[in-house]
Amino acid sequence: MPENDAPLIETKNLQKSYFNEELETPVLFNIDLTIKKNEFVAIMGPSGSGKSTLMHILGFLDHHTGGEYLFQGQLAHEMDEDTLSRIRATRVSFVFQAFNLLPRASVEQNVMLPLIYHPTIPESERAERVAKAIETVGLTHRKNNLSNQLSGGEKQRTAIARALVTEPDIIFADEPTGNLDSVSGIQVMSALQELNEAGHTIILVTHEKSTAEHAERIIELFDGRITKDTTEFKTRKAKEEDSLQK
Amino acid sequence: MLLKDTISAALEGLKRSRMRSMLTTLGIVIGVGSVVLMVSIGASFERFIVDQVESFSGDTFEIHAKGVQDIGKDVLSITFGDLEAIRGLTTVKNIAPAIFLTDRAKYGREEIAPMILGTTKEIFYNWSMKIDEGRLLSDEDDKGAKSVVVLGSQAAEDLFQNENPLGKRITIGARKFTVVGILETMGSPLTAELDSMVYVPFLVAKAIKGRTTYIDYIALQSINGDNELTRQDIVSLLRQRHNIDNPEDDIDKDDFYARSMEQAMEIIETVTMSITLFLGLIASISLLVGGVGIMNIMLVSVTERTKEIGLRKAVGARRRDILIQFLLEAIVLTLIGGIVGVIGAISFGYLISLIASKFLGDLTYALSVQAIILPLVTAVAIGLIFGIYPARKAAALQPIEAMGYE
Repeated sequence: MPENDAPLIETKNLQKSYFNEELETPVLFNIDLTIKKNEFVAIMGPSGSGKSTLMHILGFLDHHTGGEYLFQGQLAHEMDEDTLSRIRATRVSFVFQAFNLLPRASVEQNVMLPLIYHPTIPESERAERVAKAIETVGLTHRKNNLSNQLSGGEKQRTAIARALVTEPDIIFADEPTGNLDSVSGIQVMSALQELNEAGHTIILVTHEKSTAEHAERIIELFDGRITKDTTEFKTRKAKEEDSLQK
Repeated sequence: MLLKDTISAALEGLKRSRMRSMLTTLGIVIGVGSVVLMVSIGASFERFIVDQVESFSGDTFEIHAKGVQDIGKDVLSITFGDLEAIRGLTTVKNIAPAIFLTDRAKYGREEIAPMILGTTKEIFYNWSMKIDEGRLLSDEDDKGAKSVVVLGSQAAEDLFQNENPLGKRITIGARKFTVVGILETMGSPLTAELDSMVYVPFLVAKAIKGRTTYIDYIALQSINGDNELTRQDIVSLLRQRHNIDNPEDDIDKDDFYARSMEQAMEIIETVTMSITLFLGLIASISLLVGGVGIMNIMLVSVTERTKEIGLRKAVGARRRDILIQFLLEAIVLTLIGGIVGVIGAISFGYLISLIASKFLGDLTYALSVQAIILPLVTAVAIGLIFGIYPARKAAALQPIEAMGYE
C-alpha cells in the first residue's frame, strides 16, 4: 500500500455489532476519529465501553459492521483477506494484555515469529532484526529462555520486541500493563514511549487514567461512543523538555 | 512465508507435543507396517511356490483324468489309445505315460508304503529329476519289463538307512526288484512327495495293474515352446477321441486336464496374488484407522492451539500459511509413521522369512519397490486427506476470535 497524505487512520460513522442467532448486540456507535502518523493515542474507558473492539477493528483483527474505516485513504472493507494479512504483517503490530507468546518457545523464537510472515524482509536480515529488537527491550541476556521461564514484565517486553521487529507504522497495545506489577508497568510504558519517539504511532487501550496519561492524546469511550477526545497531554519527551526549560 | 519456515513451524508444532505425536504416528506405523508385511510375506510365499513349480520345465505338460487326486481309485478317461494318438502329434516330445500303484515296499525288516510310479525314462527329464547314484530307468528296462526300480532319495533312506541300496533287491507287493538308481533330493515341501516315490518301468506297472486300458497320467513337453498351440493340439485330439463337443473351450466340460506347468504357474500366481491382495486389503483397514486417528489428533491440536493460530494470523499469517502448516504437520506425522512402519515391517518380515526357511527350505524374502512406495504414498495421502479438514478449520479461524478462545 503506497504512502500518501491521507491520515493514517480515519473512521466515519464506524459501527460494530455482534450478531448471535439474529440477535444484534451493538457495541460501537458512530465512531468518528482521525489518527495521524507518529501520534501516541490512548483509548480509555471502563470495561465494556468498546475500547478493545475499536482497537481490534483499527488493527484489522476484526471487521466493522457499519460506517467506514480508511487506512491511509483505503477503505478497509474493500480489502481482501490477503491484503489484510499483508497489513497485519507489515504495517501494524500488537501488544496484548495476556502477552500471547508462543508457549515452549524462546524469546528469540517469539520475536522471530512476525518475520516469517513478512513478505519483504529477507531471511538474511532476520537474526539481526531480532537481536536489535530484543536489545531495545533489554532482554538480550534472556533471549534463549523459554517464554514460560520469564517474569510478567519480561513477557510483555518480549511481546513489545515482537511488535517492533517488523518496524510497523502502528503498534496497538491492549492493556499492556494490566497483568504487571507497578515497576514492570512503568518499564513497559517507558518502552512504548521510546518507540513513539522513534517514529512509531502508538495506540494504547487502557481503563487506567494513569496509564493513559503517558499518551499525548486521550480518546474516552463510554458505552460504545466517544465521549471525549483530548490532546492536551504531553509526551514524556515534551514533559522533560518543559522541566529542563523551567 | 518460505516453505522452509512452514516446515519448521510444522515440526515445532509436533515437537511441542512429542508424546502425542508419537502415539498418533503409532497408528500409521502399524497400518503401513501391516500392509508392507502382509504384501511382502505374500510375495515371498508366491515366489517360493513359483520357484518350486519352475523347477519343472515350464514347457512340461501334464495330462490326466479329472480327479487324479484320488490316486489308487479308478479315475478313468485317458486310455492307451489316447497315448498312442498323442504320440502321433507333431507338437509334443518326451512323452512319459505313468500308472500309479500303491503297495508296500520291503527291504529286510524295513517296510514303507510309497507311491509307486510305473513310467518311462522321459518322466525324469520332464520333472527335472537327476540321478544321484546308479542310473535312471532306460528304454530297455521298459521294453524288457525288467524288475528294476529307481528310488526317490527319501524312499531310499527309509528303506536302507545307511546301507548302499544299489544292486540290492527290494520286494514290492509279490515281486522282487533290483535297485538300479537313487535320485537326487528335490528338497522342497512341494516336491517332497517325489522324493518318497519309487519308480518302476511302465510295462511292469501295467502288468501289475492287470487288464487295464487306462493311464493315470502323461507328462510330455511341447516341441517348439509354444505351449498354447500344444495345449490346443492335445485338447482337440482328446475331445475328438472322447466325443466331447466343446467349441467354446470350456474346460469344465472336459473329462481330462491338459495344462502346461507355465499355465499351472499362472494359476498359482493368480491365487497367491489374490491372497496377498486380500491380506493387504485387510491390513489397509488399519491404515485407514490410523488416518482417522491422525484427523482426530489434528482436530484436538487445532482446538488446543487456537490461540496460537490467532496469534500467527495477528502477526500476518495468511489463510494458506496456516492451512499448509497444519497439512504439513499431518503429512510429517504420517510420513514418519510410514517410514518407521516400512522399516519395522521389512525387519520383521525378514525375520519371519528366516524362521520360515528353516522349516520350508529355501525361502527368499521378496520385497518389491511397489510394496514400499505404495503404502508410503498412501500414508502421505492419508495425512493429506485426513489433515485437510482440521487444517481448513484452523485456516478459517478469525484472528481475534481465535485469540479470545478459552
